[in-house]
Amino acid sequence: MSLNSIGYWIREAGRSLWRNSWMALASISTVTIALFVLAVFVVVSVNVNHVTGLLENEVEIRVFIKPHVDRRREFLLMREAENWPGVRKIQFFTKQEAAEALKEEFPDQRTLFQLLQKSNPLFDGYDVYARTPTAIPPLARRFAREPIVHNVVYQGTVVRRLSRLATVLKWAGWVVEALLGLATLLIIINTIRLAVFARRREIQVMRLVGATSWFIRWPFILEGLTIGFIGALVADAAVGLGYHWVVQQAAISLPFWPMAAFRVVLVHTTVFTLAGGLVVGALASVIALHRFLRV
Amino acid sequence: MIRLEGVTKRYPNGHQGLVDVSMTIHRGEFVFLVGPSGAGKSTLIRLLYGEERPTTGEVVIDQFRLNALNWRQLPRLRRQLGIVFQDVKLLPTRTVFQNVAFAMEVVGASRKDIHKRVPQVLELVGLARRRDHYPEELSGGEQQRLGIARALVNHPSYVLADEPTGNLDPETAAEIMKLFQEINRRGATVVMATHARELVNQMQKRVVVIERGRIVRDDAKGVYAYESK
Repeated sequence: MSLNSIGYWIREAGRSLWRNSWMALASISTVTIALFVLAVFVVVSVNVNHVTGLLENEVEIRVFIKPHVDRRREFLLMREAENWPGVRKIQFFTKQEAAEALKEEFPDQRTLFQLLQKSNPLFDGYDVYARTPTAIPPLARRFAREPIVHNVVYQGTVVRRLSRLATVLKWAGWVVEALLGLATLLIIINTIRLAVFARRREIQVMRLVGATSWFIRWPFILEGLTIGFIGALVADAAVGLGYHWVVQQAAISLPFWPMAAFRVVLVHTTVFTLAGGLVVGALASVIALHRFLRV
Repeated sequence: MIRLEGVTKRYPNGHQGLVDVSMTIHRGEFVFLVGPSGAGKSTLIRLLYGEERPTTGEVVIDQFRLNALNWRQLPRLRRQLGIVFQDVKLLPTRTVFQNVAFAMEVVGASRKDIHKRVPQVLELVGLARRRDHYPEELSGGEQQRLGIARALVNHPSYVLADEPTGNLDPETAAEIMKLFQEINRRGATVVMATHARELVNQMQKRVVVIERGRIVRDDAKGVYAYESK
């Protein structure tokens, strides 16, 4: 394949899209809708995974020490608690470390960081890992009775519920996507068929003068890829803008809800929508051409 | 060299296109295929450019064995052939120049080669001054010249023509025939299916008569004659 041929393919694909612009627009719209839904699923599942991941890494019991208790007494209690029944591991953290952890958890909360840098309202404390889930409630009560302890937080069932939710979402997402994907495929196939039909004289002449099958196919495949690509870009832009807005709103009204970072989400949606758009576009062209261009 | 060996073409509907046809055409020859309508002339031409495959028998053009030609080889064969039809199959949205250039573009020729070669062929067929016209602005004879220019532009070794003068008045047909003679003189082998009795008789070339799918005569300097019933 020469540069001449590639130039020819691109010109022909563009010409054909232009000539059938209404049909092309219809195809791009369906691709966009299908990919938009895909991207929404990606956003939701990235967020669910984000929260689940945070909670899984989260300690089983988090013990906060009262402010102004000196380091020595904090360590004393920790040494003692290490020998309590049911305790597997204890990790001490300072309030500075707690602030760092928060930053990681809420990457888009800029105002929060500024606040943390000025005066840190957090507590020192321990992350306590239990040997068994049943050991958690009695351990929590025992820590709570200690005089230097401010309060005790623990969670467990939340993690299990979230990961179940993630699985359900994933399956529901695949089913919806499969249906939308099929609809998109059929519409693009139809568009490419129209394009082939509109160019049947050219195709006939090409075959008679000895153009190869692939030479004849490429403009149509490029056309399908272009439809998929534009659809992906529009869907991705829409979801990206939407999520950006949601993150900003959440920062105001739900400041402690951990949203996945905008950049991380955008990378995921871009990868999925582009891959989806290009695969469906190319597949549709190949299927549409299969019937028309057998040599 | 074109060689047919015991070629039979039977269509699925039972129609016999060709029955046990054998013939050889050497490079540089000019061959007329004549005979009544539906005798099998077009079938023979279509077998030669690989649009159809023989039911039995062998068709060979140079190194290409057409019975077993796969999808990779067919384009290579076609680049050795220039094909001219009664309905010229021009592209109505492209100019004279673009119609000819198209045939070069789609086999991967460079812009430079296209701009050098296309005017040469247009000059040869006498359409140099019509290069920016669209096919519908041309007369029937000019359209056929354009079809011939497109067939010639990639330097084919063989020119196959199926009733190229079928739609033309006798005077124009004679000019087209002269053009084919010139093409043949420049080295291309010409195989032409035709009904143009007087032209065939004037040309004094090889004439193969086909009736009901069989070759009934093959004369080196033949005349257009077959039993018409």
